[in-house]
Amino acid sequence: MKVKNPRTQYVIELLTYNNETKLGFLLVSTIVASAIIIALAGVSILPYDPIEQDVGPSLAGPSLQHLFGTDILGRDVFSRILYATPNDVFVSFVVVGVSLLVGALLGATAGYRGGLLDEALMRCTDIIFAIPALVLAISIAVILGTGVIHMMYALLIIWWPPYARLARGEALRVSHQNFIEAAKASGIGSLRILMRHVLPNILTPMVAYATIDIGSVVIIYAGLSYLGLSIRPPWPEWGAMVSAYQDYLVSAPWLPLFPALVIGIVVVAFSSLGDGLRDAVEAARIG
Amino acid sequence: MGLLSFVLRRLGLAVFVLLGVTIITFALSRSISANPLVAWLGRAASMYPDLAAAYAQKYHLNEPLYVQFYYYLVGLLQGDLGYSVFKGRPVIVAIRETLPFTLQIAFFAILFTLVIGIPLGVVAAKYHRRLADYGIRAFYLAGVSSPAFLLALFLLIVLTYTFRLLPSGGALSPGVPAPKPITGFIIIDSLLEGNLSTFVDALAHLVMPSLALALGVFGYVTRVLRASILEVMRTNYIRTARAKGLDENTIFFKHALRNAMISVVTLASLLTTWLVTGTLFAETIFTYPGVGQYMVQALSSLDYPSILGITLVFAAIIVASNLAADILYAVVDPEIRLK
Repeated sequence: MKVKNPRTQYVIELLTYNNETKLGFLLVSTIVASAIIIALAGVSILPYDPIEQDVGPSLAGPSLQHLFGTDILGRDVFSRILYATPNDVFVSFVVVGVSLLVGALLGATAGYRGGLLDEALMRCTDIIFAIPALVLAISIAVILGTGVIHMMYALLIIWWPPYARLARGEALRVSHQNFIEAAKASGIGSLRILMRHVLPNILTPMVAYATIDIGSVVIIYAGLSYLGLSIRPPWPEWGAMVSAYQDYLVSAPWLPLFPALVIGIVVVAFSSLGDGLRDAVEAARIG
Repeated sequence: MGLLSFVLRRLGLAVFVLLGVTIITFALSRSISANPLVAWLGRAASMYPDLAAAYAQKYHLNEPLYVQFYYYLVGLLQGDLGYSVFKGRPVIVAIRETLPFTLQIAFFAILFTLVIGIPLGVVAAKYHRRLADYGIRAFYLAGVSSPAFLLALFLLIVLTYTFRLLPSGGALSPGVPAPKPITGFIIIDSLLEGNLSTFVDALAHLVMPSLALALGVFGYVTRVLRASILEVMRTNYIRTARAKGLDENTIFFKHALRNAMISVVTLASLLTTWLVTGTLFAETIFTYPGVGQYMVQALSSLDYPSILGITLVFAAIIVASNLAADILYAVVDPEIRLK
């Protein structure tokens, strides 16, 4: 496909780089589109009300009326899973987006300027890396109290360091290249070089990493809500559904398996798109 | 730079990181509420003013924060992680009881990870871009993309409820007496007692939690090993070996594989972090009495000293394993020390 705008052309080339990016892009756009539609249209667009009880028989298996079956209260599991989509997508995009922004700014500045700032930033990230994300998120979340917004804060506090590391490394690589030297020689200020020349050139690999990382947030978030730190019942959440339904593992194994599989599919979608993007970026770099 | 100065520098960094982690846990422990006593003691704080006063005295809560931090650190060095109201004993004691169970799982999880991950990586590299390679890729992608609880539930359905091969949970079957605690590791203690049936029972209970963890992480080993073998196969010394007329299998297994295996060491940090995270779910689902289950229980009863104490212990485990991996890496690959 040929487009006039070179930037649009670049994005299209990245997204159609190989089968992995194509499949990933297809899945990701489906997930994001359904999240947006459900968020805008609300409960009315779903086959059944996600919290209404007795819309079908209790613990019915998957059928045409109830694609993923029903739970013990006769609620439609498919509707419940769909209804949780906007929330999970929203949390992961916010956490990754803010981390990308903060990490890129901090990391690029540190990598470009070097010195004490660089050292301080790297040691900070060392410390945060020593605590597993989920464990630290739990410690912060119990102190903030349960709830989606608090969990998002907890994740935001711990999620930016890898981005800062990545941005720093990329900024170091870029800052030794000729066009930066040329910009310096022509008397452009540091801040302008950083914003106009360094940041745009480190963004693509960071976006590739961020795409894979959305899957990691989905997994950690599902883990936190599995442990009961997120939305309060009866409102559905994927991780919380697995934990609530796992008691029916013998009598109705599809109940915990469907929400868990959906989490897995979302992760596969984002990681194949991100993996493909990373390959495309690396191929472009080698030339 | 020599090996010794490398080790010393890494050791310094490890101590620094641990100090940083204690600052975080200290900050968290003091930000639970305006009055930490309420969080630690619950209603007892207002019911027993004497007890509250004693606690405030013991943890120097009426002094400035930096003084509190000093005493917090001194306490940590003496093994004082606070008291768990939920467990009814000091946090350090509760951790000491549960940690051996988690380490048992971790040991077998690492074993399974390597036993599954390495051969698959070798096969994927050997049959690069052939059917086996793509099949293995799909298999490990499924593993690394699955939340830990999905793998655990899946194993439960297959191995326990369908084929009835393994027990569904716990550390020992009901009726099997626990061995006298000598080391705290029931598989070792049962052997020391010479009690083979307990040993086998304990082993059977270990398989599923460790396998669930391994399935989530072996993919990283496979992926890194495959990429690393392919990279080594393109180097000049492999070309030299070919030119000497060595047969492909000797080149692959004796030259390429041995050098590529070093790269697996770099995964140590990722593996430990995953194992620690995964134990929370694996131990909860398989009701295994380790630190992971302890943390999840502490979470539901809002037992802050336990949560922060376990966080600290997990961080210490990760720092220690990173340190060990870095040193091991520097020993096998001298180039690293120069960086």
